[in-house]
Amino acid sequence: MTLAKLNKDQIQKILLSALGFVALMYCYFNFFLDPLDRSRADMTQKIVDLQGKTASSKTEMKKTANLETQAKAATARYKALKATTQEGAPIAWFPPKMRNFFASQNIDKANTQLESSRPFKQQELSDWVKNSWSIELPQADYDTLGHAIAELENSEPLLAVQKISIHAVPENPQYQSVNLGVQIALLSR
Amino acid sequence: MALQLNLLHEEISQQRQRQRDPLKLGLMGLGAIGAILFLYYGWNAYQTLQIKHQLNVVEGEWAKVEPKVTAAHNRADELHKIIDGTKVLDGIIDNRFYWAPLLATLSRCVAPNVQLISLDGGVADENSSVSFNLEGIAAAHEPRGAAEDFRQLLAEQLAKNYTEVKVEFRNLEDLDTVVNLAGVANASARFVLGVSFNPTAPKPTPAPRAPAAAKPAAKPQIKK
Repeated sequence: MTLAKLNKDQIQKILLSALGFVALMYCYFNFFLDPLDRSRADMTQKIVDLQGKTASSKTEMKKTANLETQAKAATARYKALKATTQEGAPIAWFPPKMRNFFASQNIDKANTQLESSRPFKQQELSDWVKNSWSIELPQADYDTLGHAIAELENSEPLLAVQKISIHAVPENPQYQSVNLGVQIALLSR
Repeated sequence: MALQLNLLHEEISQQRQRQRDPLKLGLMGLGAIGAILFLYYGWNAYQTLQIKHQLNVVEGEWAKVEPKVTAAHNRADELHKIIDGTKVLDGIIDNRFYWAPLLATLSRCVAPNVQLISLDGGVADENSSVSFNLEGIAAAHEPRGAAEDFRQLLAEQLAKNYTEVKVEFRNLEDLDTVVNLAGVANASARFVLGVSFNPTAPKPTPAPRAPAAAKPAAKPQIKK
């Protein structure tokens, strides 16, 4: 059957069929196959991502377990350092602690006052604060004072004596009046 | 040859016409292609369903692992913080200046004819240097000499433990007061010393080499 033999009605029908075919193809690809392909590609990508995440997470968990064993000493030390800070506001417990300490060293009347409290500059010590205290010892024997300072420096690792002022007491030359400026790192609670 | 008359000629030609109808043929072709496309779509949908099932399995696995990973991640952060914090705190502890040994050294330098009245000093911000002023009275036949002896002894003793030691007189003046030492009247002088040093310990000097051990001694030759 050649095109020349087709009558007008038949040509119209062929054109209509061709249009229908194009419309069918358009609908099929645009509304059926494409969304399906897209969702399949998305899901495949998601699977790859999740598998990658799962694999890397397993490595990360292993690393954390290794780190845990490596950091045992540091964790214990950090815990011990944290324990030097007592519960409550430092102004409530630090002055009595110093008074008791110096009393145990045979130095009475230790008067402790808070001078300043600042955060540390180091990022690693964001949980810690630097407190400066003034400790006044109105009457102390030089020898006893030396031993007391040695004991204080050895027993309080986070405490550092920054300033020291020793003056002889005029009416009692064997005693000195002492003022210590100490700085201590405390955990901010 | 017998004559055959086709009386249904028109009907047959109409039937042939109907069979050759392009619309009908086109619809049949479309139907066939549609069926193929439908099958292809079905195959794709089946594959998609399989992938979805696979995704569900992987998501299930991830849902199981995720809380553990988050916990591990948080713990790792915490541990890093602890390690870094401990390092910094240890640095602070190690860089402290200990005053007790300094007070002990000072007490060893004070002779019976020297009396200290006051000590005022402190540590610089980064523990880079320590400085203090010492005020005292020296009593002797030559009180200025006694004060100088004390200064030299103190400088010498401090240099054993610290570096960049400086011990200088800020003030030295004779006093009219006469001090009685072991029953002997002595003149007195008031002094103020400025002391500064770097708290880092000096490097130990290497022990001198024993030349005899290093090189065997040459045999003495006896000249005849």
